[in-house]
Order: sequence, then C-alpha cells, then structure tokens
Amino acid sequence: MKSSKRLKIGMVCPYGWDTPGGVQIHIKELAEFLIRAGHEVSVFAPVSDDSLISEPWLVSAGRPVSIPYNGAVARILFGPVASSRVRQWISSGNFDLLHLHEPAIPSLSLLACWAADGPMVGTFHAASAKQKAITAVGPILEPVLEKLTARIAVSEMARQTLKDHFDTEAVVIPNGLETSKFEVDDENPDWVGEPTIGFIGRFDEPRKGLEILIAALPETLKTFPQLKVLIAGPGEKAEFLKKIDPVLHSRLTFLGKLSEADKVKFFHSIDAYIAPNTGGESFGIILTEAMASGTAILASDIPAFSQLLNYGEFGSLFTSEDAHDLAAKLTALLSDESGRHTLAAKGLLQSRKYDWSTVAEQILDVYEMVQVGNGKVSLSSDNRVWNRFKAND
Amino acid sequence: MTKSLFLFVIIVLILAWYLSFSATRLDRLHHRVETSWEHLDALLQRRAAIALDIAHKSNLDPATYLLLASSAFQAREATIIERSEAESALSESLRLLQSDSQDVTGTIALSSLAELESITDKIKMSINIHLEAVNAVRNLRSKVVFRVFRLAGHAPLPVHYAFEDDVL
Repeated sequence: MKSSKRLKIGMVCPYGWDTPGGVQIHIKELAEFLIRAGHEVSVFAPVSDDSLISEPWLVSAGRPVSIPYNGAVARILFGPVASSRVRQWISSGNFDLLHLHEPAIPSLSLLACWAADGPMVGTFHAASAKQKAITAVGPILEPVLEKLTARIAVSEMARQTLKDHFDTEAVVIPNGLETSKFEVDDENPDWVGEPTIGFIGRFDEPRKGLEILIAALPETLKTFPQLKVLIAGPGEKAEFLKKIDPVLHSRLTFLGKLSEADKVKFFHSIDAYIAPNTGGESFGIILTEAMASGTAILASDIPAFSQLLNYGEFGSLFTSEDAHDLAAKLTALLSDESGRHTLAAKGLLQSRKYDWSTVAEQILDVYEMVQVGNGKVSLSSDNRVWNRFKAND
Repeated sequence: MTKSLFLFVIIVLILAWYLSFSATRLDRLHHRVETSWEHLDALLQRRAAIALDIAHKSNLDPATYLLLASSAFQAREATIIERSEAESALSESLRLLQSDSQDVTGTIALSSLAELESITDKIKMSINIHLEAVNAVRNLRSKVVFRVFRLAGHAPLPVHYAFEDDVL
C-alpha cells in the first residue's frame, strides 16, 4: 500500500552532536530507523571531536561554539565557514528532501533553510513562553522559515510556541521512542527498596525540581520510613547535599549518569518515577520512557506533562512547586498498590503511540507530502536570475 | 548634485532588489499552495474511492448504502464550486459509518475501516499543511507593498474551504 520509493534524506542537527540532548537523540534514532527502512540518510551536525564519530551517516560541519541562548548554554555553529560547508553538503548530497531540526535558532538548520530550495521539512522541539526577543526577530526569520514546505511540532506546547512567535501552524508528531528497549524486565537488587522512588535529570538545575521532591520527603517518611530515593543524572553531589537536612542523607542514593541499559533496570527497580519539573519542558521524553517500562509516574502538572499524561489518566499529577501536594500524592500512590499497577498498565499501553514504528510512519507521510510537485533539493543561489543567464551561455 | 543622483540610484536599486525578493517569496508560497492542494486533492479522491469500495463490498443497510455511495460519487464528480460541500457531505456520512461500525461489528471489513482511518489521518495532516500555506499567502498579499506593486500578478487569492474545518 505504501509507496516504497527509496528516499535520500538530508537531516540537519543544530546542536553539538557529542553533547547529550533530546534533539540529538531524536535525530539519531530517527536516522537509524529510516536507514533500517531502506532509506538513505545523511546527518549534518556540529562535532567537537571528529575522532569520536562512530556513525557512518554523520557529516561533521565543524566545531560548535558555546554561547548563551534562551536561558541556557547552547552548543551551536554558524558563520561564513559553516555557511559554505552547508552549501557544499547540500550541493553534493543530491537530496530528495531536507529535514531541518530547530530551524528557528541561530545555527546550521537556519543556514541550510536559507541556502536551499526544494522540499524541506522543519521540526520544532522547543517550547517556551512568548519572548519579546524572538518576536522581534520574527519578521527577519519569516522569509526564511516560510521556505519550509511543512512544519512539525513535537508537542502541543511546541506548536503553541511556534504560533506565538512566528504565527504559523504545524502538524504535531510526538518524539519517538524505542519501546522494545524498555520492556525488558530486569531489575538491580541494590535499587529495590521498601519502597523506592526515582528521579532522573541534572539534579542541581532548579527547573528539574529535585528540591521540591526533597522538601516533600519529611512528610512522606512519616508513612514510609524506609523510603529510598534514587537520583540519577549529572550534578555537583557535595554542593547539593550541603543544602539538605543531614537526617535525609541516608535516604538518598546518587547514581550519577546512567548508561542506557542501567536506565532500563532503574525503571524496572523503582516503584514510582517522580518528575517534579517546574517548567521548561516541551515534551517529556523521560515520562514516555517510564511509561514504556511499565513504571507508575507522579509528575508536576506543568502543561507538557499534563498533556502527555492526559490530565492524570496515564500517571498521577501534583500541583507544580507544591511540596505538600507532592507528599500527599506520593503517599497515596505508594499506599495503593493495585491502583499503581493499573496506572502503570495504562501508561504502558499508551507508550506504544510513541514507538518509532508509529512516529516514523507519520514523519514519512509528511515526507511523501512535501515531495508532491517539488523536484530535488538544490542551492537557492543556483536558481537566481543572473546564474540562469550564465547557465544559458 | 552628483551625490544626490548617486543616492537616488542606490535607493532605486535597493527598492528593485526588495521588490524582486518579495516577488520570489510570494511565488514560492504560491507554489506551496498549489502543490499542497494537489496532494490534498489526490488524498480526497482516494478517500472517495475507498468509500465507494466500502459501499459496494459491505453488507450495509440500503439507507446507509445510498447515503455513502451517493456522497462518495458526488465528491468524485463535483466541480470546483460544488467540491467543498460534497467533501463535507462525504465526511459526514463517513463519520456516521464509523460510529455505526462500532455498534455493529462485522458489516464492514476491518481492513477497509483501517484504510479509511489511515487516509483520514493523512487528510488531516495534509489540510493542516495546506492551510498553513494558504494563510501565509493571504498574510503576505494583504501587505501594502504587495498590493501597491501588484506582486501577485494575476494569481488568484487562495481560499479556505468549509470542508477543511469539518475533517479536522
């Protein structure tokens, strides 16, 4: 039924490939899925150390620079050298279409969008409140972004952000996930407790909200004195512990950054996953991973999480930044074993929606759509009037 | 004197560049409206074909059969003026069919229903992308520069069809 045409896809990643991040993982997994499906993919990304590249389909655009952008340090790449490398990559690639990630930030994707003509898909990952700075540059970016044949937003939040800043619509296609990876039932005996809850993320970053979870502990410990809290992710442990009541120290276990395999074990070992984030989330891929592992979730009711958990259907929600509510909901969740299993089972079923087999199929539908009536990708400078005259000589 | 002449030439050149740049932008957007409509049109035709197929192959009651077959037929034969209404009617009868099929299983082959569902999803996506292009053209063409210098030429202003809201 599906057209089995083999596509040559050029994908552009705006962020440094060797720094961990949601966009990079998304691109990597999508590229691998598309290659398995028989398509040809070339990913163009900034790379700080070329010797570390292990993917044959990755093309380095040069070293990224770290600059503060949008409240965080972003590792991005732009400038005349990057610009000419983008053009070279496009002209030698002979692509059927380009898939540009985050084309609205000042990096490679924007350069590619500027330089190319033809079928182009843009995916918008970020979500933020309306910002004057971006609204101000909106009119400059508009002629560039309108070259995109189709726009994808990874969440309802990201779609709204796009609408606020650039007044343009997008199709919502969620982030993908390899659900089969998380279904492996395997636990680490050291991590199982009476009961155990888990948290993943940079714990010293306030918007990840670990402090709120810590503040909720004394109240929860009244009912569950043996409660164990596993904290995974990078951060300054000693600095963080200084701020915490020493009585609580024995209840906390810091695991550092987990490998992919350990992450699966982590989810299968804990009784509930806690996501106390206070904001800045667009999608919440970590929650879909917990869901795919069959782990019950308690998350703050920020818009991205509320949407993903369908207002409590696939995971419990507490009022964001309210430690008392977190303690109450946590105690309730840990006390009700059958309720927790029902919640986890519902989440597991829902997580199939985020499997790459479903998500990539939707993305391929968009690819098919943008190709109608369009030729291949070319450099826009080749199509300028004076160059056409030259070609006629 | 020569200085002001020079300045005048520069301004004219910049204006000429800007107009050519704007015309290219608009031209690209018009192209997007056309191609996205082409794709949407093909999907709608396929939907009508699937609907006809379901009508003929399934064990439907005569009233549903008549409704479905006639609306599918109209959607296929409609002229550009009747098209929107015809597609709306087809959407409506397909919705009826889908809600009925939940009550009475077995009358329609599951494969046809799945096919219908997948084409509906694709149509939704296609409409979204098409409308985005339509809105972009309409926004741009409402700007003063585009109106005064008639950068749109004789290209007709793209329109929203009522059926597009029904499907979404």
